[in-house]
Amino acid sequence: MLIDINAYIGNLPFRTLRDNTPETLVARLDRSGIQMAAVSSIDALFHRHPYSANEKLFHDLEPHKDRLISIGTINPLSPHWQDDLQDCLKWGMKGIRIFPPYQGFETNGPETKSVANACAQNNIPLFIPNRLEDIRQHHWMDPAKESDLTQIADLISAVPEATIIIPNARAITSSALWKRQDIRNGNWYIDLSLVEIFYRLHTNANTIRDLADLIDDGGANHILFGTNLPLSYAGPALVKHAQLPVDAETLKNISYRTAAKLLNITL
Amino acid sequence: MPLDIQAGIKRPKIDMHCHVFKMDNWEKSSDHLVECGEALGITELWCSSIVGGGKIIPPEEICLHNNTILSAMKRHPKRIRGWCFVIPGHYQAALDEIDRCLDAGMIGIKLYNQYWINDPAVFPVIERAVKRKVPILEHAGYPQPKFKAAQPHISHGIHFTEASQRYPEAMLIHAHIAGGGDWEQTVREMRNASPNVYIDVSGSNLDDGMVEFAVQEMGVERILFGTDGTMAGSVGRVLDADLTEEQRERIFWGNAERILAPQGATPTESRF
Repeated sequence: MLIDINAYIGNLPFRTLRDNTPETLVARLDRSGIQMAAVSSIDALFHRHPYSANEKLFHDLEPHKDRLISIGTINPLSPHWQDDLQDCLKWGMKGIRIFPPYQGFETNGPETKSVANACAQNNIPLFIPNRLEDIRQHHWMDPAKESDLTQIADLISAVPEATIIIPNARAITSSALWKRQDIRNGNWYIDLSLVEIFYRLHTNANTIRDLADLIDDGGANHILFGTNLPLSYAGPALVKHAQLPVDAETLKNISYRTAAKLLNITL
Repeated sequence: MPLDIQAGIKRPKIDMHCHVFKMDNWEKSSDHLVECGEALGITELWCSSIVGGGKIIPPEEICLHNNTILSAMKRHPKRIRGWCFVIPGHYQAALDEIDRCLDAGMIGIKLYNQYWINDPAVFPVIERAVKRKVPILEHAGYPQPKFKAAQPHISHGIHFTEASQRYPEAMLIHAHIAGGGDWEQTVREMRNASPNVYIDVSGSNLDDGMVEFAVQEMGVERILFGTDGTMAGSVGRVLDADLTEEQRERIFWGNAERILAPQGATPTESRF
């Protein structure tokens, strides 16, 4: 079984996406052998006030709720965002997503900490994608910034009771997530969508692997399965999943058990 | 049809965009490359050791980079093949280095971001490639200005189109559609390029649909499989692309086999 913790529906302003409706996304999951996915609204990220996009997401996913798990979007700069959060909970959403580079605040700033605290109080994870797209391809309206992993490490340290999921990150072992000893055992998770496992481009023979080093150093419990569909191909995550150098029980944790626990899903 | 990832991993592949850089313990680096490739069904890896950032280094230093590749080829004769890296502005020294490396068994020429590929300084190199019947792989992409500042002479599609209109018989390969830039822009710019202009699918950007877009714009016979450090990601994007099995086979194997043929070379291992 696979639970994809990194999926979306909706429209990106900068290029046309396919398989970005609930129906087509489910079909793509079927083709990819993925049973369930945690799904956010792309549109919500670009709205100044995402409450309407959250409501639409709830209604859009309702007919597919056995496969698609809704993840709400919060903008802490929007008035009464706490009410938006309560709406998300009322609709049964299993997590909250923010993307500070598009929403206009710092990942380690007071706004993010407030959302992280609120998520912790409600026992739901906070999703902070490292990026949606490769920022090098840039549209003039796109700030072309990533959620900084060093700032995310600051947040994890400042709000240790929060669960932080960081989809679409790479170079984990050289990031503050893994270099900072004080958060090594923290409640943070990355996914398989972007990071490589065994090979990384290198000019130093001592830094030739990525996720495999994290696993060897005891970090497998931080890994979740995720694809970044429909922004990215699912194939890369599936190939990496097939190659994970872990035992059978750890593989089950990465594939679905940990995600089910974090999302409070009964399988 | 559901994806069969295990079967896709096992199918044979030629990875035409790899690196073994000149470094301490390059042996370990090359061994690791080969090991990771074998785990993904990659039977040969075409490697170069380049100098980036538009930096110009003396010809004798370039020889050392290429010697690393020649050594890696000797260490892994069935797995590693070589691209000869040159800086075209060195003119005769660059041409001499091309001949030295090709005579020693390399199979093509690698250019980085020192010159646009349609710069007259590159013409002698293209003419030598035509004469020797070998392809040229040039670092390329259409990055946003912030990233382009570090490599002002990075080529993109229009440069390949212009170069190919001057040298339609030259096999020119636009590196990494996924190398970090506007891939729709650079591919569309090659709509009027010679049929001998190719693009490889390597790079770290995993945007859904990019392989199909390149096939639609350029034709599947002009798409090559490469990784450039994103090994599982590049295999996965081709396996997941909405292609026929015949198209996938051309990308993973047939097109690379075809561009080797003019120089009389064949894959190091049989496809079947």
